[in-house]
Amino acid sequence: VNSSNIDDERLRQFETRIARGEKIEPGDWMPEEYRRQLIRMISQHAHSEIVGMLPEGGWITRAPSLRRKLVLLAKVQDEGGHGQYLYHAAETLGATREEMIEALHSGRAKYSSIFNYPAAAWADIGMIGWLVDTAAILNQTMLARCSYGPYARAMIRICAEENFHRKQGMEIIYYLTQGSTAQREMAQQAVDRWWWPTLMMFGPHDADSPNTPALMRWGIKTRTNDDLRQEFIDQTVPEAEAFGLTLPDSQLRFDEGSGHWRFGEIDWDEFRRVISGHGPCNQARLEARRRAHEEGAWVRAALQAYGARQNEAA
Amino acid sequence: VSDSQLSRFEVFVQGRKGAAYVHAGSVHAPDPELALLNARDVFSRRPNCHSLWVVPADRILRRTVEQLSAGAETDSPATPGKSETFLVFGKIGHRGSHVFLGETAAAGSSQALSRGQEAFGHLDVTSWWIVAEATRSISAPEEARAWFDPAKDKPFRDHAFYPVETFMRNLGRGRRQQAR
Repeated sequence: VNSSNIDDERLRQFETRIARGEKIEPGDWMPEEYRRQLIRMISQHAHSEIVGMLPEGGWITRAPSLRRKLVLLAKVQDEGGHGQYLYHAAETLGATREEMIEALHSGRAKYSSIFNYPAAAWADIGMIGWLVDTAAILNQTMLARCSYGPYARAMIRICAEENFHRKQGMEIIYYLTQGSTAQREMAQQAVDRWWWPTLMMFGPHDADSPNTPALMRWGIKTRTNDDLRQEFIDQTVPEAEAFGLTLPDSQLRFDEGSGHWRFGEIDWDEFRRVISGHGPCNQARLEARRRAHEEGAWVRAALQAYGARQNEAA
Repeated sequence: VSDSQLSRFEVFVQGRKGAAYVHAGSVHAPDPELALLNARDVFSRRPNCHSLWVVPADRILRRTVEQLSAGAETDSPATPGKSETFLVFGKIGHRGSHVFLGETAAAGSSQALSRGQEAFGHLDVTSWWIVAEATRSISAPEEARAWFDPAKDKPFRDHAFYPVETFMRNLGRGRRQQAR
């Protein structure tokens, strides 16, 4: 028996376990490609939470009331926490925090394209909660069923907390759209800015998504990009209508036959431009992360010195 | 000095007095005291925490049933010799996290694993973690109120704080009235 036969047999057993709905835990055998795909996805997801603090963080000191400020502060703090849960899940696969942070700061690692757009007005904070977090919840509810135990568990914890994010955003939009003409206009301009970039969050069409078949076979993803995007549209179009907002898509129409909303084509050139580092804020986001890391170096040095002294004492 | 993210500690949360400690995730810290502090910040933003345990991640003996059935050697990170107390954690079935099952006295973590399997084997454990009690640190009970009660003062962290369903119903009603 040669080693490739043994690997074939192990792969067969691994796929049988996943088909039975079992969770893979650290220590269990897994194909190298499963490990590689998970580290790629989970670390990108962690980076998205960390970079995701930046567009909203700028509005904490500008929030229109103390209540809104408390809520936004708590939301941004949650995102920092979610980044920690996810880095932890990637570490169970052998990735180190140092490697992952280095990959982000050098520009090698990707993160969600949505966070490369600016939050230009207060209404954008509402749009991030209502649109971006609704999209995130759909994706993360799927990932809570992921075949890899530590990732699934991090997702369950995050989904429970993320519902607050969505609802505080809807509350902001509700009050703006019920407010003065200027407030309604601010909300309309914000939805014009965020609608298409949010649809891009789900990633390329299934036909152009090279990783999807392997991810589905191994239970990492259980739904496709287009499937999730359609559910998002079916859910949010009626909400936009209730708010009295006009979505910036002239081709949007309800298809009685299928029960789904049909929509126009996404600007994939823009998607590729933003994902490859040329969106409106890519540079600023990475610079902010690098600066935060550099400015925290003395804290890490002090903690290391303290740790070394504790070890000597012990 | 190289830039380091320090050591990893596994974190276990007790939701309320008397409940089992459940694994929540991990934190990085130079020592157990700061690991507890980080764990408090990362894992108790909601009012869901009564007490915390932290354990250095590299001091845990971990074995999945797959590893055990493949005959994995259960060499122990702790030194065998005189008997000490071990904490036995298990993930039951394929849902949920590692949960504290109970204690056992053993000479080394391999023996503690065998004893854990004897005592809790009927529970359909799919993954075992064995922790020497001496390596576990506990959040100070006298600090529990100062550490965990502030989360109770932040109801706006709960989605139920926002009456969004009522808003959307009101909007629907308004629209129908306009149409009439």
